[in-house]
Amino acid sequence: MLADAIRAETWRLVHNRTTVFWSALFLPVIGVVMAVIGNTVMKSGAARMTVQGDVPPQLAQMLTGGPVRVIEEIISSVGEMANPAVLLFMLIGAAALYSGDYRWETWRLISARNSRTNLILGKVATLGLLALAAMIALLAGEIAEVFIKAMVLERPVSWAVDANAAGRFAALFGLSWLAIMQFTLVALLAAVTTRSLLAAMFVPIVVGAVQTLSPQGLAAMGIEPDAWIAVLINPGLGFSLLQAWVSGASGLPDQAVMKALATVGLWLVWPLAAALALFQRQDLSKE
Amino acid sequence: METVIDVAGLTKTYGTVRALDGLTLSIPRGGVYGVLGPNGAGKSTLFRILLGLIRPSEGTARVLGGDIGDVAAMRRMGSMIETPRFPPFLSARQVLQWLAQAHGMGGSAQIDHWLDRVGLAEAADRRVRGFSVGMMQRLGVAAALMTRPDLVILDEPTSGMDPPGIQEMRALIRSLAADDGVTVILASHQLLEVQRVCDRVAILNKGRLVREGTVSDLMSDGEQLVLKVGPVDTALAILGARASLSGDGVRVAATRAEGPGLIRLLVQGGVDIHEARWVGTDLEGVFFTETGAVRAPEVDHAG
Repeated sequence: MLADAIRAETWRLVHNRTTVFWSALFLPVIGVVMAVIGNTVMKSGAARMTVQGDVPPQLAQMLTGGPVRVIEEIISSVGEMANPAVLLFMLIGAAALYSGDYRWETWRLISARNSRTNLILGKVATLGLLALAAMIALLAGEIAEVFIKAMVLERPVSWAVDANAAGRFAALFGLSWLAIMQFTLVALLAAVTTRSLLAAMFVPIVVGAVQTLSPQGLAAMGIEPDAWIAVLINPGLGFSLLQAWVSGASGLPDQAVMKALATVGLWLVWPLAAALALFQRQDLSKE
Repeated sequence: METVIDVAGLTKTYGTVRALDGLTLSIPRGGVYGVLGPNGAGKSTLFRILLGLIRPSEGTARVLGGDIGDVAAMRRMGSMIETPRFPPFLSARQVLQWLAQAHGMGGSAQIDHWLDRVGLAEAADRRVRGFSVGMMQRLGVAAALMTRPDLVILDEPTSGMDPPGIQEMRALIRSLAADDGVTVILASHQLLEVQRVCDRVAILNKGRLVREGTVSDLMSDGEQLVLKVGPVDTALAILGARASLSGDGVRVAATRAEGPGLIRLLVQGGVDIHEARWVGTDLEGVFFTETGAVRAPEVDHAG
């Protein structure tokens, strides 16, 4: 029955091509286009400066800085996949998935024949698959951008890889996926609470902005940035700490990692639990 | 008598408004059962509770032997309540395919069969955002019946349909009950359609059940004695509250056994009886009587 809910939500989402394009495909496509344009402009600019004998050191480094290290660039991009741009476009998919049945008044078609828990979990699972698809598309785009950079700037390609690259890749990929899921679970709670597509879009943005600014606010109240409260209200900080940890950063205290795990776990669980509890008791028809 | 729906003391309040007020009703298995009532009588609220969309404030409801929320029982029920709505980016065929996935039906949904049976075969691949109200109703009925339920609730299934569509829907509803053994619960403001299609009806008003029974019993209970008499005022004074003046004479709510005694009373009171006949009433007459609504006078277009 959960499988029925996942299957139906996934099937419906796949046929909502507008949502799929903007959530998962727009950024990779734009990234490739920008890579072509950007590297071409950089190369032609450098050519002019070379004639004039006036190339800035950073530009010179980019043009002649040895081989393009493909694996390292890919691992680095995977660690940054839960960036604000990706999160913003994923909200389009989240808002459509989580508030669509309210907006289209289609709960009455499916809610009698499956449990409400399964219906919500089906949507969350489908969002997980959408996030996965978006990340794979971004990865493909990143690989294309790396090769475009090498080709346009005429730099050799290096496939050098260190011993724990696969482990780092998997860990960073997983953390980025969890960060996307955590951000969009706030959209789920907003959608169930307000039954509004706009709220599902904007509440996570507002919450995220407040969380990002929270260190400054808490510092003004005399609360240290590594205090429990400072970490618990800011899952983004938790994800950053965990990324540094899996990337092998030294000097991270064990308690910092523990706090990071706690905040990530808390922000994955409580929005989902609250949404489920509210949805179980909710009247699903307009009066 | 086996029942498909049992409702006891069902109440639903929205603030100070009691949409349902202690409703108690049992709907038997088989046939077509009509649920009638003026706007705000509680029909839609009742259906929403039965489908688990809203929770009652008080009382209990059981559907197909299970409590509301018993998914195993609910999966034997199909429904179309209110104006059907669907994801606008899907075609009619895709809507049914999506619902087949949601209901775990896989390839057994016979989607083309149901699209053909509701008259949407030619529009199967059109997006629903371009559908008329009547087409949405047809798709809603197909969605309700696709799962081959034991019980189906249809709320205003002919709303927005043209006369041929209404006739097709009427035939479909009758065949569901007669040939497929489905119990159909039908809510409609088209009282003539209900009279033609339903075996039993329940009339709701202000959240309560006011009358229930077979269509024929309800209509025969509403028989009236129509008298052409003079002087009319004297006759009305003698007959009292059970009599009223209408366009075709003095109408008296009475049984056939009471008729001779009433006529004798009038004659003894000095009233001349020019004509006396019994007339039945239609379901519309029963509806207006039970709900206290005022029946508009018939307009004679013959001039």
